[in-house]
Amino acid sequence: MIRRPGLRRAAAGLILLAAASGAVLAGRAGAQPGVSRPQTVGPAGVGVSSGRCGVCHPAQRAEFEGSRHAREQVRCISCHGGNDDTLEQARAHGGDFRGRIAKRAEPAVCAKCHSDERMMRPYNLPVDQHALYQTSGHGRLLAQGNERVAVCSDCHGAHGILPPSDPASRVFRTNIPQTCGGCHADSVRVGKNVFDPYVSSVHGRELLDHANPRAPHCVSCHGAHGAAPPDVGDVDKVCGQCHTAERRYFMAGPHADALGRGGLSECASCHGDHAVQVSPPAWLSTVCTGCHAEDSGERALGERLWTSYQAAAADLEEARQLIERADRIPIATDDYKARLEQARTYVNEALTAAHSIDEATVSGFTARARSVGTEIQSEIYAKLGNLNLRRLLLIVFWFYLILTVLVLRRFRDASRTA
Amino acid sequence: MSAPAGTERPAARGNWVDWLERRINLTQLFSLITHFGLVYTPIDTSRPIREVLRELSQQKVPTYAQWPRVLGVLAGILFVVEVVTGSLLAFYYRPTPEEAYASTRTIVRDLPFGWFIHQVHAWGAWSLIVVVLVRVARLFWDGLYRAPRELLWLSGVALAVLVLKADFTGRLLAWDTHSYWTLVRGLEVVLAIPLVGPIVDFVIGGSIVNEDMLVRFYILHIMILPVAYIAFLYVTFGTQRRVGLGQPAGGGPGGTTTLRRHLYSLLILTVLAFGIMVSLSVLAPLPFHAQADPYTTVVGLGPPWYLLAPYAISEGTPIPGWVAGLVTFVVAIGVLLLPFWWRGGADEAAQRRARIGGIALLVVWAALSVLGWFVDRGAS
Repeated sequence: MIRRPGLRRAAAGLILLAAASGAVLAGRAGAQPGVSRPQTVGPAGVGVSSGRCGVCHPAQRAEFEGSRHAREQVRCISCHGGNDDTLEQARAHGGDFRGRIAKRAEPAVCAKCHSDERMMRPYNLPVDQHALYQTSGHGRLLAQGNERVAVCSDCHGAHGILPPSDPASRVFRTNIPQTCGGCHADSVRVGKNVFDPYVSSVHGRELLDHANPRAPHCVSCHGAHGAAPPDVGDVDKVCGQCHTAERRYFMAGPHADALGRGGLSECASCHGDHAVQVSPPAWLSTVCTGCHAEDSGERALGERLWTSYQAAAADLEEARQLIERADRIPIATDDYKARLEQARTYVNEALTAAHSIDEATVSGFTARARSVGTEIQSEIYAKLGNLNLRRLLLIVFWFYLILTVLVLRRFRDASRTA
Repeated sequence: MSAPAGTERPAARGNWVDWLERRINLTQLFSLITHFGLVYTPIDTSRPIREVLRELSQQKVPTYAQWPRVLGVLAGILFVVEVVTGSLLAFYYRPTPEEAYASTRTIVRDLPFGWFIHQVHAWGAWSLIVVVLVRVARLFWDGLYRAPRELLWLSGVALAVLVLKADFTGRLLAWDTHSYWTLVRGLEVVLAIPLVGPIVDFVIGGSIVNEDMLVRFYILHIMILPVAYIAFLYVTFGTQRRVGLGQPAGGGPGGTTTLRRHLYSLLILTVLAFGIMVSLSVLAPLPFHAQADPYTTVVGLGPPWYLLAPYAISEGTPIPGWVAGLVTFVVAIGVLLLPFWWRGGADEAAQRRARIGGIALLVVWAALSVLGWFVDRGAS
């Protein structure tokens, strides 16, 4: 009780002290160099980053002000040279002024900053893009003097550059096919239209129609700055980035060596490349004839794999229908549903394992699926059998019911005579 | 007590009926059920119960355990079956959208004999619907709507309507996909009826089938409709006591029997009805559907079968919905108030004209119902 006023005074003092120090810190933070201040645009249309260039180049200024670069104190003169503090054209376009940047010179201009480890470190950006670009199909052709290939600005834009994480960016995940398709949809210009096959493929539909974040786009397989088609012998590695289990089985099987010897593309020989679709299980027996003769042993093996798969799938389908029937009675089926799901993964694994073309491996999975399927079936049939017991009990029930009625009739008729 | 031992002893030797009789007027209690028409004579409540029962059991009463009057008794017996099984179901049922389906599934799947109670309730409902509708048809066929039996007709139609309403409300309670979408379709028809639609809309709170409607339907199903049913059952018995039994057209007086014998016949009837319910439940169990999903419309599901005729008019033809509602309303009111506008006499010719009119209405209704059945199936 006595100490309370003192406490209150101390608390008030602390709060005051905190407020004061907060104000001081805030003031110092405002003055600190390197911390970006809010963007302000001067009355004469002079942007902070575009300087006075924007007065004569309003369209470029508008584009640039929205870009990532404008927020990081990159200025017009950082790329174009010259002076941005004057409206006098001779002075503004003087000194190291470069004007429109030549296509061949462009990678070097961008690399001036983007290959500088010290400058890129705060943004955690890689600095190898320029080096990678020179190894890419684009870079090699550019070095040969072909000016129709893509340089930095063809994919990233020039003034309005946005980071790949920005959905408005041309290099955002779902925008990449369109960006690459700018050239690669034109079979005359680049020799082959790969855009349309990709858009129609299962990968394209997953990415563009279902916004599946795991669906691969151009860069997933070809790389970005070092973009190039994967070589034969590397295709399995590219596809195997996602399809790891398929690759593992494929590499264990006879096809891995055989295709390599024959100079045939690993995955693409059966599945195609840009237009890849979901492969129907029936391929187990049909796709072999692409290389093997109709009456060959390989074809027969494929037929056996297909039969083994079909038997398992049929067993599971029957189990599913039984579960559906049990649900309508209803009988508790949660356990069966969980087991059926497990069996389905076995059947799917059998399809994956079929990449090894090893009968024992595949039938190992189908046999496990079948055993679960038949187990579920027999257990449900047993429970349905219990229902038949009810029908049998009905006979007993009616026996006693008729007996009751007869007794009641007896009582009734006796009462008349009474 | 210093009464002589001689007067005390017979009472002390008496069984529990005498023991009770000295503490409560059993005759008065018994006279309660006479209100429901089992006993016609007024009972002198000052007399002991044994004496009254002995006398009554030998009294001549008309028999109800015979066609066609058995329908009224069956409407009572099956109602009792529904009340008993329904109460047992209500012990486990929880009327919220989250739990309705799960609790129903628990009843029919996990509880001992839960499936049995549920199936008997469902088949009892179907049987009750058939019984009350056939009873209305029978009353019509025998001209039992004419004065002085207007109230018999009114309560007969009311019982039929109440049973159909109980079916309509009971459907939703399981909250499965079948019942849910059948009900949504049915509500479209009901809400389009002039006068009735807005009242229903006000009572159940709109046409959105949600948790509020589930609770309201539940209360209607387990409380309001059964109480109304009992009330109209009482009107049926009450008016029969005043105006006498309806005789089959051209037939003599119904068979008479003693009350004791009659009660045994009713007991036999009850046992047989129960046996039939049990057999139907075991041999033809009604299927259990998946849980209702308000966001997935089930294609090919129409309204309940008794609403198919107006549904056919509103959905199967270009006629707007309110016209179908109006037609339904006029026909329903016309059937209900039949005794007040039908001017036909009791003679043969008038009777025949009425019957032909009734059959024509039934045929049109049946044809429209068949059409209504194909409305959704044709479109799917």
